[in-house]
Amino acid sequence: MEVIRNIIITAFTAVFAENTIFSRALGTSTLVIVSRNRKNLAGFGMSVTYITAMVSVLTYFADKLFGISETSYIYIPLVYIVILGSVYIITLLCLWRFAPKLFTKMRKYIHISAFNCAVLGSMFLISKNCETLAEYFFHGIGIGLGFVLAVYLTAIVYDRLYSEKAPYAFRGYPLLLVYIGILGMAFWGLSSHTLNY
Amino acid sequence: MSNENSAKNIILNALVKKNPILVSGMVIAPVVVTANTFLSAATLALTFSVITFFTLVVSSFVPKRIVYTVRIILYTLIGALVYVPSVIILNSVIPGEISKMGIFFPLLITNSLIISRSETIFFRESKGQMILDIVFCIIGYDAAVLLYGLIREVLSAGTAGGKMLGMPYVFSALEYPFGGFILLGAAAALFRFIFMTVKRAGQK
Repeated sequence: MEVIRNIIITAFTAVFAENTIFSRALGTSTLVIVSRNRKNLAGFGMSVTYITAMVSVLTYFADKLFGISETSYIYIPLVYIVILGSVYIITLLCLWRFAPKLFTKMRKYIHISAFNCAVLGSMFLISKNCETLAEYFFHGIGIGLGFVLAVYLTAIVYDRLYSEKAPYAFRGYPLLLVYIGILGMAFWGLSSHTLNY
Repeated sequence: MSNENSAKNIILNALVKKNPILVSGMVIAPVVVTANTFLSAATLALTFSVITFFTLVVSSFVPKRIVYTVRIILYTLIGALVYVPSVIILNSVIPGEISKMGIFFPLLITNSLIISRSETIFFRESKGQMILDIVFCIIGYDAAVLLYGLIREVLSAGTAGGKMLGMPYVFSALEYPFGGFILLGAAAALFRFIFMTVKRAGQK
């Protein structure tokens, strides 16, 4: 029972309290690119969640194999990039072999959903915060879903942020940053802010 | 050399028209989270410059006949290899400052200038133009980060480079990532306003 509770808390924390975009700004540049096109949002979301889940499992084994030492910060990024590259290439090969239609669809954006700060950052965060394989896996899924939530919340207001009604200086990108900041403040309040009466 | 690819145009684009932070929205995460003082902004600028320049220059030698799927892995692998000597050297040059960046230093390996802009812009140019473009993109990024870090430090802590300014009021929430986003949004808007004002004045 405690294991299930820990898993739920881990995933919930990753989606809301430690949302990759709103709490840590990881993958913001990717969000700026992806939120422009709402058509690919579902595919992109699935792709990111799948990749973060897969790499988090492999990160667990890499952490056990290489361990955490005083010098591991020097070579661990290289290990994580090899893991990320392997998941990316195996996924593409499997899709190409077994689901060619899906391969054609996903080929356009799978590279951006694999090689971004959100995915690589999730590997470092999971490595710091999790201990068991289940925690690694569900934290990975949580981070992926949290990123999708952030992209969705941005995409639904995209037209308004880029509307001609907005002052020219703020229109588009500047307003997008302010919007993420305001949402970030709300998420921060949800996770760590306490009022003293 | 066509007008579009002239040195002046490349420099103007990299520094102003397509400034990586204030206009294009690239490599924002470390800026929003770590650059909350002038010193931390300077550390970020230095680490970003070293990783990005050497990764992009070495990556430009990856043959184009290799499919993009494999090329992108090679770019990040090169980034991870460049990271190893960089972290050792920078740790000895600015001891302690690198560890303050936490995970945001290794994350520079997958920064969007390396992943996206390399294929869409840099690697389509001649070697000379590419080097010029990369150098001025990095200068544009560094200048924006340093200015942003200084303003953020003044507003959030009432200090400039660690020296007290005697500000009557400080906005300490600007130290947090959400404050960083809002300030960066305001800075991007101000930058656009100034650019448009100067452009209109030039046309008159």
